[in-house]
Amino acid sequence: MASINTEYGRDLRKYGGFDFNACYNCGTCTAVCSLSTEEDSFPREMVRFSVLGMEDDIKSSLKPWLCYYCGECTTHCPQTANPGELMMSLRRWLTSVYDWTGLSGLLYRFLPATVTAMILAAAAVIAFSASRDFNLPEIMKAGHYFEMIAIGTVLAVIFIPNLIRMWWFTMLKPGIKVPAANYFKAAADLFIHMFTQKRARDCEDNNFRWLEHFLLVIGYLALLFTTVVLDWFSSSSLFVIILGYLVSAIVFIVTIDFVSGRIRKKKEVSRFSHASDWMFVVWLVLMGLSAFAVRLFIDLGWLENNLWLYLLHLTVLVQWALIIVPFGKWTHFLYRSFAMYFHSVKSQVK
Amino acid sequence: MSDEIRAASYDALVIGGGIAGGEAALDLANNGYKVLLVEKDLSIGGKMILLSKVFPTLDCAACITTPKVSEISRHPGITVFTGAEVTSIEKKGEREFETAVTKRPRYVVEEDCTACQLCEEVCPVVVHDEYQYRLVGRKAAFIPFSIASPRVAAIDIENCTLCGACEKACPPKCIDFTQETEKYIIKTGTVIVATGFKLFDPLKIPRYGYGVYKNVLTSMEMERQLAPTRPFNTILRPGDGKMPDRIAYVLCTGSRDDTIGNPVCSQICCMYSLKQAQLLMGALPMADVTIYYINIRSFGKGFEEFYEQAKGMGISFVKGKVGKITETETGNLILRYEDINENRVMEEEHDMVVLAVGVLPNTDPLSFFRNGELKADQFSFVDQAEVLSSPARTSVKGVFVAGTASGPMDIPDSILSAGAASSEAISYLKQ
Repeated sequence: MASINTEYGRDLRKYGGFDFNACYNCGTCTAVCSLSTEEDSFPREMVRFSVLGMEDDIKSSLKPWLCYYCGECTTHCPQTANPGELMMSLRRWLTSVYDWTGLSGLLYRFLPATVTAMILAAAAVIAFSASRDFNLPEIMKAGHYFEMIAIGTVLAVIFIPNLIRMWWFTMLKPGIKVPAANYFKAAADLFIHMFTQKRARDCEDNNFRWLEHFLLVIGYLALLFTTVVLDWFSSSSLFVIILGYLVSAIVFIVTIDFVSGRIRKKKEVSRFSHASDWMFVVWLVLMGLSAFAVRLFIDLGWLENNLWLYLLHLTVLVQWALIIVPFGKWTHFLYRSFAMYFHSVKSQVK
Repeated sequence: MSDEIRAASYDALVIGGGIAGGEAALDLANNGYKVLLVEKDLSIGGKMILLSKVFPTLDCAACITTPKVSEISRHPGITVFTGAEVTSIEKKGEREFETAVTKRPRYVVEEDCTACQLCEEVCPVVVHDEYQYRLVGRKAAFIPFSIASPRVAAIDIENCTLCGACEKACPPKCIDFTQETEKYIIKTGTVIVATGFKLFDPLKIPRYGYGVYKNVLTSMEMERQLAPTRPFNTILRPGDGKMPDRIAYVLCTGSRDDTIGNPVCSQICCMYSLKQAQLLMGALPMADVTIYYINIRSFGKGFEEFYEQAKGMGISFVKGKVGKITETETGNLILRYEDINENRVMEEEHDMVVLAVGVLPNTDPLSFFRNGELKADQFSFVDQAEVLSSPARTSVKGVFVAGTASGPMDIPDSILSAGAASSEAISYLKQ
């Protein structure tokens, strides 16, 4: 028997939740949602859980991740309770629940903490560069090593433990019994959803949003591969150089469109922006743009005289890799894919 | 002739000849006051005269309305203008109102018409019958409906081809195409606003497919199918004339809904839907009727018993508002909704859907006074200045409000409110 916890709703507001208390349980949101099914009906159930503060039920649910936020529920909600944004807030809250360090929650709820972390990261880059007498080749080499070390560390220290926690909360603790073989059978789903987000194509809004997002994911992963594995900034292979230009351009062009969408607020999905949303898209723009500019300056022979540009790029990179990727909105890439994977593991029981 | 402005004076002006306005006019006239009743439509009786039965007693609506309407038409103290509209009201002083009224030509001399309907027979023009809520057609020369008052023909000049067939066929030669708009300045001591309400237009919710799917009706269209003067004499779905087996009611269509700008409860839809569902069980004993609701608000005297009676008759109730409706090839409709008790989104097929449309304000009276002296409440109904102590009072002293002009209410409440308005008006006149 669950008890009502009104504190929970108050806490959720810090993650962006709105007037979900206005909900009068008509179910319009669930009925207009094109992703809602008889087996997995949302968002009303999640609104109800939030109003009542049924934390454990939300924690064990994969439903917040099954929503791809087309905003139809919010458009048609007769009480203007904004269920779409509530689902988004629940994803932020779940991110902080999965995170064993507790830093996600702190950064989501308390903007000054994020700003401080960003400033500290920038200061560390400047201090490190100063300690190397602003020697460009040395800093660039260190930057390249940083990328590799950061990826490995974040994966081992943050992501793997957090994914295990997510598995524990959503699969083991609720006592869902599935044969181990299911985890292998469903493995393909993990990668399909990770790389294609194909479920979003069933959303009510047009496929353009899906295409943009798909291009961004592919562009971003390709940029990561090009810079880290192919060492784009030091490469002399024409193919690698052009590939790097192409993928970094994709990243900043798509994200500039995302930023302008959030400014124009025309679509339901971009009407409400939490600080973490702004940070995520703006830093993606900066990443793509600064990487593009750095390589351009290298090719034009201008970088030696414009050290500031590389320092800017490195600062953005460090902030991205140490703050936004492990504790910010970036994580939805992993959690959503794994939610789809676990969901598939569960549904194979039936 | 059209420039001529006629003058007349009465003790009281009642605007709106529905059940509230009619009742207020009768109360005043029975107390010896001279009343002018101005009705925009071709007949008095308002929406009630078109209804099937009334809740929760299941009395015949027409059997209550028609005697009232005849009494109004025959009362020596009441003058009725049909096809007439108030264009402006000016308050010259206490108990001194000057109202400009425009009376549209009927093209039939009311006193001479015998309602023989020969004009209807010969008229070649067929258009949708608005009094049957477009379920069937009527002629351009027509008697509005069988129990209309006055029961006098009218020419629908918008659709008339001026062929002259009716003129030739009319035995008393009362069709007169030379009639023109008449303008009046009416002096009265008091004014009662009984302009009623408007029904929500479900075209504003495209998800429900009204106007696209032929078997999606409004509750008023269903009301006509159930009325004693019904067009089909049975229940037929408009798409193909099939007798429906599975009928769904979608409650709160255009009520309690921020997205269409009407956040409040319409107060009547739950009950009229329960009533229609019970009548349908009588008309189509084999049919299944399902009511999709958010909450059933059966708050009035005898209402809860009426709800229990509906459940006892086997009407199904599903808690959950319908999200969207799609049509199948056979013209059946699939309703997608969340069953709130089951926590699951479901789809259910029905062969006819009735949208329980809500009550919206009629904003016409707000422009009667040139400087907006007659104030509206936050939902654009006529504001009740002292809702608890003198509910009929408006923001203008000497102007009173009756019935749904002040907000959603059912028939008994409208009649009560008309009683309050007429007695307040009498007190004002006697001051």
